[in-house]
Amino acid sequence: MPVDVDEYEDVWVFVEEHDGDVAPVSWELLAEARDLAAELGEDLVALVIGEDVDDVAREALRRGADRVLVADDPVFEPYRADPYGEQFRHLVEERRPDVVLIGGTHTGRDFAGRVAVPAHAGLTADCTELGIDEDGHLEARRPAFGGNVLATIKCENHRPQMATVRSGVFEAAEPDPDRDGEIERVDVIVDEADTLTSVLDRSVGETADITDADRIVAAGGGTEGDLDPVLDLADALDAELAASRKAVDEGWVGHDRQVGQTGKTVRPDLYVAVGVSGAVQHVEGMNDSDVVVAINDDPNAPIFDHADYGIVGDLFEVCPELVDLLEDADDPTEVPA
Amino acid sequence: MNDQWTVVVGVKQVPDEDDVSLDPDTGTLDRADAEAILNRPDRNALEAALRIKDEVGARVVAVTMGPPMATPVLEAAVAMGCDDAVLVTDRAFAGSDTWPTSLVLAATADYLDADVVVCGEETTDSSTGQVPPGIAAHNGWAQLTYVEELDPLPEDEQIAARRDVEGGHERVVADLPVVVAVAYGENEPRTAGLHRKIHAENEFEPVELTADDLGVDEDAVGLAASPTQVGGMETVEPVERERERVETPSELVGALADEGVM
Repeated sequence: MPVDVDEYEDVWVFVEEHDGDVAPVSWELLAEARDLAAELGEDLVALVIGEDVDDVAREALRRGADRVLVADDPVFEPYRADPYGEQFRHLVEERRPDVVLIGGTHTGRDFAGRVAVPAHAGLTADCTELGIDEDGHLEARRPAFGGNVLATIKCENHRPQMATVRSGVFEAAEPDPDRDGEIERVDVIVDEADTLTSVLDRSVGETADITDADRIVAAGGGTEGDLDPVLDLADALDAELAASRKAVDEGWVGHDRQVGQTGKTVRPDLYVAVGVSGAVQHVEGMNDSDVVVAINDDPNAPIFDHADYGIVGDLFEVCPELVDLLEDADDPTEVPA
Repeated sequence: MNDQWTVVVGVKQVPDEDDVSLDPDTGTLDRADAEAILNRPDRNALEAALRIKDEVGARVVAVTMGPPMATPVLEAAVAMGCDDAVLVTDRAFAGSDTWPTSLVLAATADYLDADVVVCGEETTDSSTGQVPPGIAAHNGWAQLTYVEELDPLPEDEQIAARRDVEGGHERVVADLPVVVAVAYGENEPRTAGLHRKIHAENEFEPVELTADDLGVDEDAVGLAASPTQVGGMETVEPVERERERVETPSELVGALADEGVM
């Protein structure tokens, strides 16, 4: 079952778009894949699947792709696993890419297996580091055991080498308006009549992107669902709201603001964890923060081991006091001491 | 059309992640005492499967792939209300990554004539979330991941679901057979009744299936058939934090001003 790996070339990045809006992780991957392609001496190819996605394809060129493959058809909007997987699998089998990178979003994790399984490709989930070893194999690194260990996964005898990659771990490149390249429209091999699912309705609001935030205030289980003190503090700090898994599971905060192993990786200048216990899965998502502050009434909460500054105290008292201090500091009539 | 559905629930035994901890001073992993438990997201899968049974009637069969010592997770599933349980076990499966694992589970679902396969969102030990889509892909079935609610539509041989998508939700209808991955924490798993518990622990014996029973080629499973290999593990160096306790909010604001982040 192993394949002749030399028959496979080029680094592909799946550009995830919904209704014309591109998931930021796609551009992050394109920037990272630019370096991988250079190291391998291969082309960087963006794959765009959707309906009326010419603008997205052009943007992919400006963001670093050498070429863009476009599968444009109404069958692809809104997203469904079976048509996406089927079209992607067909392209992989026909064109034999060496490396395929997909954002570790719900969408990416949903359909990646539908490509990897029939292609018998190696698929590594939720990577946070990518590299090339001395034999030219992709080294996909991912946290294991709640982030305590970084496992390196390789795929030596199968192709393509596929990976889903977590949002926020790589930096997107600025688009270069002068950059150009080839856009190729590929044959659409999926027929609506053969699909296994239909989307009845889809309602998507403004998705928060906490991965770009300079300041973050995160709410944990200690808030017991009363987010007002956290929101006030975020407001006073001009920070984005984030949350631990507990707060998301309880429905207090949307999943798009979850930090940690099954959420996002953030790297703000300031991270304030309010009522967050500090489970390793959460710490893993905030460890790249510059300065970490913990507010918790449990002096033994593990979060204090992962914070630069900790206040042991009731968040319902500490947060309002902080807000008052910050607002006073912002008041231009107040003369700083 | 009036045939009762067969709902297969995939469950897995994992080390209790609450027992796996990191020493912040040394950065070493301490999991020596980690107890083997039912993967927590699988409780949501079991609840979702049993709700299908409550709503439209179904035979619910729990399945685990693993060594015989994984039987307690099947007992837990039967105690919660599953009608039966299957241990898929074979030395040939050892070392399987997600590709052969999903192949074996796909063959099992097919063998059991499943209409719906329900899994947890991911396992807490490896967290790939790749097995449910893998089962669907091996069998060419529909799939629904990140599912928050299920509505069985037996007259139409379909199931409807509310799925979590980035920044919102969608409602999708899928043709049977379908593989469902339930979003972690999305329902309140029922507790096992005392009667069921006693039955599960004393009278219940899981059905055992091997590669041969399932018609799975031994060369298609196990370490050798796994496209990915673990090329190394390194302990992540803990980020050095100041770990300084401040007494008052104003002291904190002062410290942050000194850090230059205010």
